[in-house]
Amino acid sequence: MPPPGLLNSLEAVTINVAAFLITMALFGVYVASLGHNPLDVYYVLWLGSFARQISVESTLTNAAPLMLTALCTAIPARAGLLVIGGEGALVVGGVATVLAGVALSGAPFLLGVAVMALAGALAGGLWIGFAGALRQYRGVNETISTLLLNYIAIAVMYHLITGPIRDWDRVLKTSSWSIPQELRVGPLPFIDVHWGLATGVVICLILWIIMRRTTFGFGVDILGGNPRAAQMAGLPINRMVVLCCFIGGAGAGLAGSFEVMAVHGFASESLAVGFGYAGILVAFLSRQNPAAIIVLAILLGGVTASGGLLQRRFDLPDATTQVLQGVLFLVVLASNAAYGRLSLFQPAAWRTT
Amino acid sequence: MEGTDISWWSVLIAVIGGAIRVSTPYLFVSLGETITEKSGRVNLGLEGVLVMGAMSGYATAVLTGEPWLGVLVAGCAGALLSLVHALVCNLPRVNDIAVGIALFIFGTGLAFFLGKPFINPSAPRLPDIDLGWWSASPQVQSALKINMLFVIGFVLALGLAWALKTTRWGLVLRTVGDSEEAAQALGYNIARVRTLGTVAGGFLSGVGGSYLSLYYPGTWNEGLSSGQGLMAVALVIFARWDPIRCFYASLLFGGATALGPALQTVGITANYYLYGAAPYFLTLALLIYSSSPKRALEGAPGEVSINR
Amino acid sequence: MTHLPDPAKKPPPKVEIWKLTKRFGSFTALDEVSFKIAPGRFHALLGENGAGKSTLVKCLMGTYRADGGSVVLDAAEVEISSPRAAQRLGLGMVYQHFTLVPSMTVAENLVLGDPDLTQVIDWPAQRASLEAFLADMPFRLDLDRLVSSLSAGEKQKLEILKQLRLGSRLLILDEPTSVLTPDEADQILGLMRRLTDEGRISVVLISHKLREVEAYADEVTVLRQGKLVGQGRVADLSRDDMVRMMVGDEPPAQVSARESSGEGAVMLDVQALCVDNDKGLPAVRDLDLQVRAGEIVGVAGISGNGQTEFVEVLAGQRAIAGGQPVVAGEPYHRTRTEMRARGIKLLPEAPLQNACVRGMSVAENLSLRRFDEAPMSRAGFWLNRRAMRARATELIAQFRVKTQGPDAPIETLSGGNVQRTVLARELADGANLLIVQNPCFGLDLKAVAEIRQRIVEARNGGTAVLLLSEDLDEILELSDRILVMSEGRIVYETTRDAARVQDIGRHMAQEGA
Repeated sequence: MPPPGLLNSLEAVTINVAAFLITMALFGVYVASLGHNPLDVYYVLWLGSFARQISVESTLTNAAPLMLTALCTAIPARAGLLVIGGEGALVVGGVATVLAGVALSGAPFLLGVAVMALAGALAGGLWIGFAGALRQYRGVNETISTLLLNYIAIAVMYHLITGPIRDWDRVLKTSSWSIPQELRVGPLPFIDVHWGLATGVVICLILWIIMRRTTFGFGVDILGGNPRAAQMAGLPINRMVVLCCFIGGAGAGLAGSFEVMAVHGFASESLAVGFGYAGILVAFLSRQNPAAIIVLAILLGGVTASGGLLQRRFDLPDATTQVLQGVLFLVVLASNAAYGRLSLFQPAAWRTT
Repeated sequence: MEGTDISWWSVLIAVIGGAIRVSTPYLFVSLGETITEKSGRVNLGLEGVLVMGAMSGYATAVLTGEPWLGVLVAGCAGALLSLVHALVCNLPRVNDIAVGIALFIFGTGLAFFLGKPFINPSAPRLPDIDLGWWSASPQVQSALKINMLFVIGFVLALGLAWALKTTRWGLVLRTVGDSEEAAQALGYNIARVRTLGTVAGGFLSGVGGSYLSLYYPGTWNEGLSSGQGLMAVALVIFARWDPIRCFYASLLFGGATALGPALQTVGITANYYLYGAAPYFLTLALLIYSSSPKRALEGAPGEVSINR
Repeated sequence: MTHLPDPAKKPPPKVEIWKLTKRFGSFTALDEVSFKIAPGRFHALLGENGAGKSTLVKCLMGTYRADGGSVVLDAAEVEISSPRAAQRLGLGMVYQHFTLVPSMTVAENLVLGDPDLTQVIDWPAQRASLEAFLADMPFRLDLDRLVSSLSAGEKQKLEILKQLRLGSRLLILDEPTSVLTPDEADQILGLMRRLTDEGRISVVLISHKLREVEAYADEVTVLRQGKLVGQGRVADLSRDDMVRMMVGDEPPAQVSARESSGEGAVMLDVQALCVDNDKGLPAVRDLDLQVRAGEIVGVAGISGNGQTEFVEVLAGQRAIAGGQPVVAGEPYHRTRTEMRARGIKLLPEAPLQNACVRGMSVAENLSLRRFDEAPMSRAGFWLNRRAMRARATELIAQFRVKTQGPDAPIETLSGGNVQRTVLARELADGANLLIVQNPCFGLDLKAVAEIRQRIVEARNGGTAVLLLSEDLDEILELSDRILVMSEGRIVYETTRDAARVQDIGRHMAQEGA
């Protein structure tokens, strides 16, 4: 009999693949109804996401923030919370990075980048950690508070970039001051994708190890599995919840840092383009597993990346990828009903009688 | 000094007028969410439903020239979208809050997708009812121009409060939302009642959306909604699941939303975006104030998952 | 307005249950059970947990479809396909768990079940009709009160009123007295007796309390492992006869001898403890209690008198409103460090919900107390899953837990084995203070004997044991000292030797001062 852990993973992979195929089929029916050949559309999706180096680069550039914002939902979810504040944490992380970068002008590159990244992570971490603390110490529902914090973060950013930290020299686009050019983060070696990707992969792997292999991860799983059992075991629940929220928020804040340090160079409305919300989808797809997040963020990044090409080739609106994400999300949630139903993955099916 | 007095007076008028003008979508989504939550489910996807309603209402009005037909179509589109939520939630082991987030992404995406061709053409607006005829002040007149949907929403709040107490439908809805055990023992079909509750809630939210595109602000574009649908859940908590209190809460939130633009009319443009976030700050503050780590939220239906 | 059948006018049906059978997969829960209920009789259905009583009545009420046999009402065979069909036939059930809507008033709850309820409710007419209905009933309830504000006894009355209002003429009561004080129980059952004597209804009482059966029932049917094992008039049967039918010929297991222990040191000292329930109302009020090493202190009481909240406080699952428990002479803040250093262990009721993580394996659940210590982790940080498994394998053997293996999810275990798993975890490293609540609820006799044995062994080894149980026999059998808890206070104390059931029962029913 295969070990139950392996069976569980295989079950999750199978169900997710099936959900993805169903989504693609639904999407195919839809584009067919608009008069396009679904096979052409699939081909363009492939072309725009993984077929060529330039599309792979675009996919991975999209995947980098998704990995980090997915953590914002995934890590608190392991402790039993449903946090959807990745968008807001990314924005405050980005703004904090700008402030740190501007203050650090003239600093050596490594120090400057490290401090900016830390500032972003810290801001995002405190932002979501605050929601965690509100839930533990005041009983405020974390889903609603993080949702509100998204709007508040964006409003605060607009407030800052239209006034206190506005770069008045940039006329075409309202934006904040820029970070010094010498502190901009460049691409990885060999491939034109910024360092945020490598950072995201490493952080996901580290968190995967922490969650699987350490007493902290085990404690969090107890808490997420049954808070009453965690209480009975005397675990420091409040601190654990706030810490999980902090870690998740720090991930999203770091995503904001890299968007500023590597992509835009300043804070603007381009920070709030939905990476936070797509990250929720990645977290659900990966079933809160940080290692799986890497793979699924790349997949979702591919969907996002091919949006532009899809738009040009078939004259579809740019909301196409959002529709696709939404359908995928709904199908994946509905597929939760299939867990435990497929007898192939139940230990009982393997028992020799 | 006198000048300042007058401008503060006009800010107040503008806030009151704004409250009436802006509150209608809040009112419809919060009444919709009240129905849904009374059945024991949370629909966090009303933002998607609202935007979809705004788009479909606008599109219908553009194509037919009939704004009221647009309102009806908006309601139906909202009901249809919420049906997706209800059907997915009827499956076992599905988290209704997560489905709401998915519906939010899907609904807004779909509305932008389908609504692209309707950004430019202009649709006929819903007509006003002029309640400010007695006043000579143009400010007062404009503040008291009231839309029919606001009146309908008010009547609906009264009607819903009445129906929850005095109709069979209301009692069944509350039973299913408060105690699954009782509903089962009485032989009610829980999934069906919740489906109907969610669909009805979606219809109202769709209508609320049509108000945005057909009356105020009265256009269709991707930045039309400022999160009224997302606020519905918080608003309902604040109103303690009571339709009449939903009406007051909507006015309060409308007033908070109108604060920024009202200040702008008298030339105060600083902190515009912060004033714009007033409803979110207000909601968060109210939640922090009214929650308690020790007990459930007062008045919450027993089966609602947001109630921890 | 309403046209409900008046229970006084239509007589109760003659019921014949013939060879009723229900299978779940390969397991036969109910095996060709037959009996008759004459109109106006008070019929008791007796049996241990899992004997098939609930299955039988669920078949009668249309919750389950029987796989064989038939139900005959007034000489006509009927098909009961749903709870609604049962209701139309005049069969009504009062469930063990209340099926009232907490946020509604008494009046709203009463009109809810009415199948002829009009779309728009004519409240004045309904109220008039309800008043008239209540006037004919032996007890009254205020129509405008919210159900959530009713006491357990009042809720039970409302459940019964609801059924009578619906025109049920055969009323099935599923362990109706488990949440009631003895007084309330007598009142409710006396009332049922009166209604049967007047010929207005027939009653089927599901119970395992022999006292109630003897005092109120005319006839009794006994089930064991899904089979009919005895039937007769209560007057013709002795208590011993009924016990033998219920448990079979197996002699009740003997719990190991108690070694006398000297006066131990005070391990748990609770003074003036106050705790609030989920609604923020006081559940435990100024509770005083002490447990010494090497003794079992049994706390008897009707459920819902603050026992669960008290245990939750000791388990760290609930905030304290006032007072500070002291364990081994030091204040106890319910941290992991204190629990470990002072050897504080718990076996709460419903351990799968309160003390286990469903999705985790048996091995992981067995490690809950010590996963951050060597050898199960290195430096308190790196987990050693191999060591976890090894220790789990040991404990599974030692405590005879029946499981597929240490990797099986705990939720696949039977209730008794979940109980054994938690007890293994809590007792494995020795305990100085063991808090136990309803440890044998719903277990078969063998598991009961084994678990009680472990508890007494722990006591003999010097553990201070606090046992809270709704089962008075369990308290009497295990305790060195017996306390009675009522309305959140200790209202009576006696020793093992001086204990008298009547005194304890009277104090259990006592209203708080």
